[in-house]
Order: sequence, then C-alpha cells, then structure tokens
Amino acid sequence: MSANPRARLTKSTRFTISLKTREMLAAYAFLAPFMAFFLVFVVRAVVEAVRMSFYDWHILRPSRPYIGIENYLELVNDDVWWIALQNTIVFTALTVIGTTIVALAAAVAVTRPIRGQNFFRVLLYTPGLLSVGAVGLVWVWLLNTQFGIVNYGLSFVGMRPVNWLGDPGLVIPSLSLTSIWWGFGFPMLIFIAGLQGIPEQLYEAARIDGGGSADLFWYITLPLLRPTILFVTVTGVIAHFQVFGQPFIMTNGGPGRSSYSVIFYLYQIAWTAFRMGYGAAVAVCIAVIMAALTSVQFLVLSRRIEY
Amino acid sequence: MKPERSILPQHTITYVFLTLLGLFVVFPMLIAVSQSFMTNQEVNRWPPQIIPTEPTLASINAVLTQQDLRLDLWLRNSLIAATGYTAAVLLLCAPAAFAFARLRFPGNNLLFGFLLITIMIPSQVTLIPNYLLMRDLQWLDTFNALVFPGAANVFGVFLLRQFFIQVPTDLEEAAVLDGAGYFGRFWHVILPLSRNALTALGIFVFLFHYNDLFWPFIVTNSLETRTLPVGLAILNSSYAGQYRPMVLSGAVLSSIPILIVYIIFQRQIIQGITLTGMGGR
Repeated sequence: MSANPRARLTKSTRFTISLKTREMLAAYAFLAPFMAFFLVFVVRAVVEAVRMSFYDWHILRPSRPYIGIENYLELVNDDVWWIALQNTIVFTALTVIGTTIVALAAAVAVTRPIRGQNFFRVLLYTPGLLSVGAVGLVWVWLLNTQFGIVNYGLSFVGMRPVNWLGDPGLVIPSLSLTSIWWGFGFPMLIFIAGLQGIPEQLYEAARIDGGGSADLFWYITLPLLRPTILFVTVTGVIAHFQVFGQPFIMTNGGPGRSSYSVIFYLYQIAWTAFRMGYGAAVAVCIAVIMAALTSVQFLVLSRRIEY
Repeated sequence: MKPERSILPQHTITYVFLTLLGLFVVFPMLIAVSQSFMTNQEVNRWPPQIIPTEPTLASINAVLTQQDLRLDLWLRNSLIAATGYTAAVLLLCAPAAFAFARLRFPGNNLLFGFLLITIMIPSQVTLIPNYLLMRDLQWLDTFNALVFPGAANVFGVFLLRQFFIQVPTDLEEAAVLDGAGYFGRFWHVILPLSRNALTALGIFVFLFHYNDLFWPFIVTNSLETRTLPVGLAILNSSYAGQYRPMVLSGAVLSSIPILIVYIIFQRQIIQGITLTGMGGR
C-alpha cells in the first residue's frame, strides 16, 4: 500500500488530462450506476405516469386513445375517490396523534433513570419489526366481534360486544389502534434520541427553583422537543397517508367502502379493474397531495429553533 | 454525569406505566402464540381461552404442510430479496454519496438538490409504469423485480453523504500521498470509517423491504415466488374463515426469524433505526 514509484510514474505521464477533469470523470463514474437506476425507475416512471394519466389505458385493450384531462375530470366526480381520501385523512390524523402521544410517553418513561431501561426500550420496539401481514392477522382476531379478546376485556366493564371492523364508524379507528400498536416504536426511538439531547443541568436548575415533574415536562421537555415532535408528526403523516396493508389484509376495504384508503383504491383501479390510465391519474393526485405535505415538512423543519 | 439508576418509590408511576404499556405490546403476541396451540373449537368459544387446555401442534403442522401454503419458500424468498435489495442499495448509494460528499464536478450541488426534491415524490406514482416495465422485461415473478426497481434509494444517498462529509479529510490526504486514487480513497478510507452508517442504512432498508407488501404483491403471482408478507395475506384470505388457529400459527411462525435476529442484535438494530430515522443527525 505504501508509495509505489511505478504508480507515481504512470500518474505523471498521464498528466495531459488536468486534475480537475480527472476528478470530474471520477465523480461521474461514481455516480453512473446510481443515476442509471434512478433515471430508469424514478425519472422515467414519473414522466410515464404523468403521460399515461392522459390516456384511456386498459391493460387488456390494444388501443389506448388520448383523452386529455378526462381521467382527472372523472376523478373529481368519483365518489369512491373522495370516500377513500376522507378515510385516509381521518386514519392519518388519528394514527399520527395516537402514535405521537404513546411514543412520547413511552420515550419519557424509558429515559427516566430507572433499572430495566434497556429492557423496556427493546420490548416496546418489538411490534415495529413484525410485518403488516402478521400484525393484521393477529389484530383481526383480537378485534373479532364474537370471540375477540378485546370484547372479552370490555365485557368485564359491562360493555356489549362491539363490531370493531364491521361497523362503518368504527373501522378506521380500529385500524388506527392496530397501527399505533404496530408503529409507535419508531417515533419512540426518535424521541429517546431527542430527550437524550436535552442537557440534564436544565432540569437540575428547574428543580432547585422548585419545579415539579409536571413543570419540568411542560416548561423544559416539551418546548425543547418541539423540533423532534414536528419531525415525528410530519414524517408520520407521510408514512400513514400511504396506508395499504391494514385495510387490504384486515377489512379488504370494507364494510362497504368504509376503510378504502387512497392507495387501496389505487390498487383496486390498476390491479383489479386494470385501468392503468385512470390509476396513473389517481397516483399523480396522491403524489401531488403528498408532495404538498412534504413541502410543509421542509418549511416547518427548516425553521431552526435555538435556545 | 448520569444519575444512578434506581427502583426508588419516586419511579413507581414510571414502572406502572411501562408495565401497562409493555402488556399492551406483549399481550396480542402472547395470545397469538397461545391460540396457535389450540384447536378450532377451542378458539371459537366464549369466553375466549387464554391458555390452551390441551395444547396441540395440529394447526402448526397444518400451516406447514398444506399444499397451497409454502412458509419455508416465502421466508427464503423474503430473505433473498431483502438481502439482494440491501446489497443493491448500498452498492448504488455509497459511490454516489462519495461523489457528492468529496468530489468537485460541475453540477454537484444542482444534481444533489434535484435528488432531494425527488424525495418528495412518493413511490406510488412510479408503481404503474414500473409494473408495466417489469412485465415488458418479463421480470414478473423473478427476484429482479423485487430487487432493482427500488434500488436507487435517494434517501440512502442523502444519509451516506451526511456521514461521509463528517469523515476527516486528512486521512484521505494521507492516503493520496501513499498513492491512492479516487477509488482507493473511497474503498480504503471512507468505507471502513463509515461502517456504522452503512450498517445502519443496511438494517433500515432490509427491514423495510422484508416487511413490504404492495410491490411484492403485484409483481409476484405464483405460489413459489411470493414473499412472507404476501403469503400471510393469502393465508388469511384462504383460511381465516374456518381455520383461525392456522392463521395465527402462520403469523407466529413467520415472525420467529426476525425476532430471533432482534434478540441477538438488539443494540445494533435499535441504533441503526434511530440513526437512520434521524437522517444522520
């Protein structure tokens, strides 16, 4: 590995190409594999999706006439789309709020100076490792009206059996509950990292001034965690807006269309009705909504807060 | 200095809360395990049985031997696909991140800015065109379809660039004096010093892919090529109506491998996910 005179020699003879050019060529060589994949599977795909959304493109029909914005007009008047969008928004709101609260409480508890910190941290993250398949299969059964454990538990407080996944008004909150169980571990880890970044002296000073635990939480922890809370909620919105597995496995969108999500509807259009053009229009609309949500994230997160 | 960890009475509320939350987390899994050892009749009973009166391996056997269920193959497929995907992401992203972090070339910032903007484009918009491309390439039902379309992971480039920038440049300068070229700097200096970051990103994308449902569902369609999450969805739709313990057994069995890995590598997995989730900050 040490200085090799022959290597130096070849280097100096090649000096006809300037160092700058060589660095540039090297950079492009390093970038080439990634960019090749990126161009084919991202750039091409996005452009193609937008193009397809202007065609009546059915996978089984050879003719694919250009129909302008017809797909988008259909979408505006598509009741199912609006139901799916509304379901998705309600699901996202419930799940993000629930996940954030549970994750924050768990993170605060787990970072107290107690024994078994690590045990609880590892334990509480466990559901996050499971696949949506396993989670869905188990929770469908827990929430079963007739024989489910959840209704069994509630019977002790005198509640009659609840049709969690079959009641149009309850199905989205039920899927939300499942998703909170499944997903609170990840934001918990982010919150733990955020909490560990808060200097202990701040708490000591506040305690000397006579602050109780509640004061410490409201006046030190929460304000200092603000950037982390924003990060968790906004990334949570983006993640949960894409919900697919839970309705797909647990309810198949039902009862009726009460648990259609936008991605579930995209799946229905493109892979059960095979309407690729219309599906592309739906995908583009989902993308625009999510890009708007992400822009909000960048705007909010780029406001750095210093203390 | 950290205060000493204790089990003082002042922490009673913390312990109560953590125990309740722990039960909330563990209970569904325990029920699933317990009811996997039950018969069909025992599961469909009110009040629900928590502990099997006569534990039986019947449903576990059934889920492993049914002709239309191939848990073993699905697990193998999931592992191969997730490993291949992770390797592809690292092999594509690390060199690109090195170029963005260390090399001067016209358009560096412009190109990186463009990539960052595309993070905002959700992958769903690429689903239909990429699906049709897979079909035209005759990649449906192959590992290629599971590995390559998502391999150009912009987030991976972003994350690794963050780490590479933090590697002190004097180490590379020393390597250059020793005759290292661009590849030598990347391979012998940057990569070994970023092992933690590469592991973290690797764990993150592996778990993401291992648990992905939508894409594997649409690009595979024969029994032998499904992945585990897709297989579980099929198991559920075919058997949940009549053979609940089988469905629960499938969920439990399919989760065991990842849980064993978690128990062994808990520290690395937790750190990796935290590091990646924070975007390398």
